[in-house]
Amino acid sequence: MRGINAATLPRFYPLALVGAGIVTMLPLTADAYHLTIAINLCITLILTLSLNFVVGNSGQFHLSHVAFFGTGAYVSAILAKQYHLSPWLCLFCAVPAVAMLAALIGLPITRLKGLYLAVATLAFSLFVEVLVNQGGALTGGGYGIQDVPAATMFGARLSAKSFYLLALAALIMTILIIKNLLDSKFGREIIASRDHPNAAAAAGINPAATKLLVLVIAASFAAVAGWLHTFYYLTLNPVVLSPEWTFVWFFMVLVGGLGSITGVVLGTMLLTLVPELLGFAAGQTVLVIGILMIAVTLFAPRGLAGLLHDLAKAVSSERKGR
Amino acid sequence: MTLASVVQVLLSGLQIGSIYALLALSYYVIIIATGILNFAQGEWMMVSGILGVTFLSLGLPYSIAFCGGIVGATTLAIAAERLVIRPLQKRQASEAITLLALFGIMLVVRYGTGAIHGRLDEPLPGPAGTHVFRLGSNVFVFSQSFVIYGATAAIFLSVVLWMRLSWLGRSLRITAIDPLAAVLVGVNLNTVRMVAFGLGGLIAAIVAWLYAPLFAVGYLTGAIPGIKGFIALFIGGTSSPLGPLVGGLLLGVMEVAAARYLPSIYAEGIAFALLMFILFLRPSGLIGGRRSQ
Repeated sequence: MRGINAATLPRFYPLALVGAGIVTMLPLTADAYHLTIAINLCITLILTLSLNFVVGNSGQFHLSHVAFFGTGAYVSAILAKQYHLSPWLCLFCAVPAVAMLAALIGLPITRLKGLYLAVATLAFSLFVEVLVNQGGALTGGGYGIQDVPAATMFGARLSAKSFYLLALAALIMTILIIKNLLDSKFGREIIASRDHPNAAAAAGINPAATKLLVLVIAASFAAVAGWLHTFYYLTLNPVVLSPEWTFVWFFMVLVGGLGSITGVVLGTMLLTLVPELLGFAAGQTVLVIGILMIAVTLFAPRGLAGLLHDLAKAVSSERKGR
Repeated sequence: MTLASVVQVLLSGLQIGSIYALLALSYYVIIIATGILNFAQGEWMMVSGILGVTFLSLGLPYSIAFCGGIVGATTLAIAAERLVIRPLQKRQASEAITLLALFGIMLVVRYGTGAIHGRLDEPLPGPAGTHVFRLGSNVFVFSQSFVIYGATAAIFLSVVLWMRLSWLGRSLRITAIDPLAAVLVGVNLNTVRMVAFGLGGLIAAIVAWLYAPLFAVGYLTGAIPGIKGFIALFIGGTSSPLGPLVGGLLLGVMEVAAARYLPSIYAEGIAFALLMFILFLRPSGLIGGRRSQ
């Protein structure tokens, strides 16, 4: 996919890296409110990056990402609260559980295409929401789960600042893994299965298996994000499973630019931070997001990455002109 | 499982099933003409009900509130097509972008109504009052139920006749089969698209006056029936108007039966289970045909 990358901005790359390093450390000096925003941003970034992996890179229109996020969060909370498992152990249970769920649901669903895939996955995510709402004592129903035991390290409870570092580490791991996967042979198989499934099959790739594997990997990242959510907030209610979230994350991906990691990071940051800074987060966030969705699809369908790409092209052609 | 309870389940199931069937029909006319699954159908229904409540609270007569609500919601549906969907289709935007724009319209209508009208649910009186009829020893029917059965039959019949007999209805059917051939025989695709969105909006707007009197109407009223409507359409299939009718009625009866005879957790999952079952075994729907995908 087109987008800004190291090649477009070679001279600024080390500088940008140092700048990013300083910016990511800034929340450590912030108060609790801004720290929460920063942690929330890390969690949302993991979700949008993994959603982009399925929708943008693999071209599968899955609308069930929130179901994997929510299942990861709920499995972690239930294991920690009711079975008194260590929070760290919960991570190693929640991720395989969600990966298995994704494989089970993906096995039949990845056969579907286009609108049918969207409808089936949207219905699945509604089904999970209803199931959790009706789950009785296990999920706490509409009331949710409160007082989840906090994660500890070396006998001390994790502070918000160390939790931020943990979320940041998870985010950086997510970016590195997805980027390396896309640059590998597997990444080219993903693109081939998306653009020319028949040609890919003729070249010895199994497009169905490739698509299924992409879904399972993305769902695992969503489960990690769910685990982070549970052990930062320590309470959980079915609102985290509302299918509208998938659309909001998908919108962040689109604003950034479908398929571009840099674009998705920028788009997510823009849409997470701007409402907070402008102060309309409390009142009419959803209404504003709806208006933005219509505006972006009408006027900037290639997203921020597309805009930046056009800008970089204009600047470089001007330089050549001189 | 007595005879009376089975009859009661059937009557209640057909009642909510009729609502699903009509909403499925409103998705159907849009999907066959344009290939678009318009998420906002439930919202046009909600807007029609809210407008009706507002007009009634202003002291206007029932007939004017009824017409005003339906005309207002249909106008909004046509405006959404003209302002958002037509530019996207003209640019041949991808499926993902179109779906996101439709979702944006849904959010704006839903939460915009919440911001303008307030977030309280209000009662909307039905056209036939609130009489209860007793059939046999343990079977009860509301007067509103008869309105629902009658209106569903009338709307399905008129849509089918319109699609077979009128020039515009035939244009819609030929566009569904082959848009290129439609253009070659002189069909204006823009007109067909606008008529499809207008008719879909009109059907959804009428449904408000059937559905809302059973409960109440608020800014979230369109959400659940809107989703059940397209699930019903995919269960029934998009090959003929029989698809939305059968899908809606089947979904309604199965839901009510599951709620009556099974623990509530199964009742909530029945729509999803049915949809999955159909999508994997018969992707073109129960009433499948040549339009299989």
